[in-house]
Amino acid sequence: MRVDASNLLNRLGRHDFSYKEFEDRFTELELWPMLEALLKDPRLLELDGAAASGPTSPSPESLPHAHAPAAEFTATPPRPAAPPAPEPSATDSIGALFRRYEGPNAAAAPAPPAPAGSGQDVRAMLRHLSELGSRGEI
Amino acid sequence: MALIVCHSPKGGTGNTFLAAHMALGLAEAGADVTVLSMAAHDTLPLHFALPPSTTLSTLHAPSEDSVVVSGIDLRHAGTAPHDPDFIPMLKDLGYFQTGRDRTLILDVPSCERNLARRLVNHACAHLCALDTAPETLALLPQMFDEAGKGGLSRTSFVINRLDDTRRLARHNAAFVRELMGPRLIGRIRLDESVPESIAMLQTLARYAPSSAALADVRRLVDIVLPALDADISIWSGAKSSSYAA
Repeated sequence: MRVDASNLLNRLGRHDFSYKEFEDRFTELELWPMLEALLKDPRLLELDGAAASGPTSPSPESLPHAHAPAAEFTATPPRPAAPPAPEPSATDSIGALFRRYEGPNAAAAPAPPAPAGSGQDVRAMLRHLSELGSRGEI
Repeated sequence: MALIVCHSPKGGTGNTFLAAHMALGLAEAGADVTVLSMAAHDTLPLHFALPPSTTLSTLHAPSEDSVVVSGIDLRHAGTAPHDPDFIPMLKDLGYFQTGRDRTLILDVPSCERNLARRLVNHACAHLCALDTAPETLALLPQMFDEAGKGGLSRTSFVINRLDDTRRLARHNAAFVRELMGPRLIGRIRLDESVPESIAMLQTLARYAPSSAALADVRRLVDIVLPALDADISIWSGAKSSSYAA
């Protein structure tokens, strides 16, 4: 670490910097066709199956990642007034993951087609990312 | 004993950094750690403040010939990818059994996908370092396809060298976070102190105790540490209740 940065941290009484003020519109994610192409790749469903497999997979509690959901290390803590994000679990399917972004009643909605070839899921995910960005949770 | 496999689908994502600092953190927590570098030309010693000329001994070499730093036994097995007896040897040495008394961390080069896949089948954890480069993300479908459901059930992901000031990096990190869900166990921020400490031939903790990357990787150690106590048969699917107990 540079001396000037170290001195600044000492004056601030901090151990490191944390990035908090890098806002942008997450709808811009649609500018990255690679992400959309990846979401349409059926091989990503392997992740879904690995989570939902039966007795041959470890219980969610036994996995190290069960102790630290991804939301724990987001750079900016969620605002108290913000509605709580759905708790991810190891049993979520990728399809369900995208489905729940459709709205509050999405969980009761019939299952949409698989993500492969589904542009709707991509838009839903991007919409959710945009909402997270507007709430300062990303 | 516990086996942790560090392997990434793409080179240059900081896999060796992750293996080295996972070893340092677990050793600080009281684990008896051995790190085995499986790269033909490995850079593992640099993360332990050793000079580039350092040569590591093989796993079979006597203990007096080994390189030990901070209580961590550093070994090299560059021929392991082509040795059919390598995995049986690890089994004979007891690394596929349970317990925290000895921990073996394998630093597997990205190109050794077949070896990594076979090792993950016996590991209590697979740590996969990703960066936010689009080239890395593009390899994820292939990685998922090759790993299969069994391998992915043991895999935890880490975003390394995250630069939140860059738009694409931020977007790609958000994408990975949404895709992986709880499998993404943390991120390590881009920190110039890491290469600087290597150039200074110092450990990161000594060179930059307030390093952001160091703080991030220490959080990861706290997350991974409970896995050392996991019964390996739980991770591989066999019935066991020792972990829950």
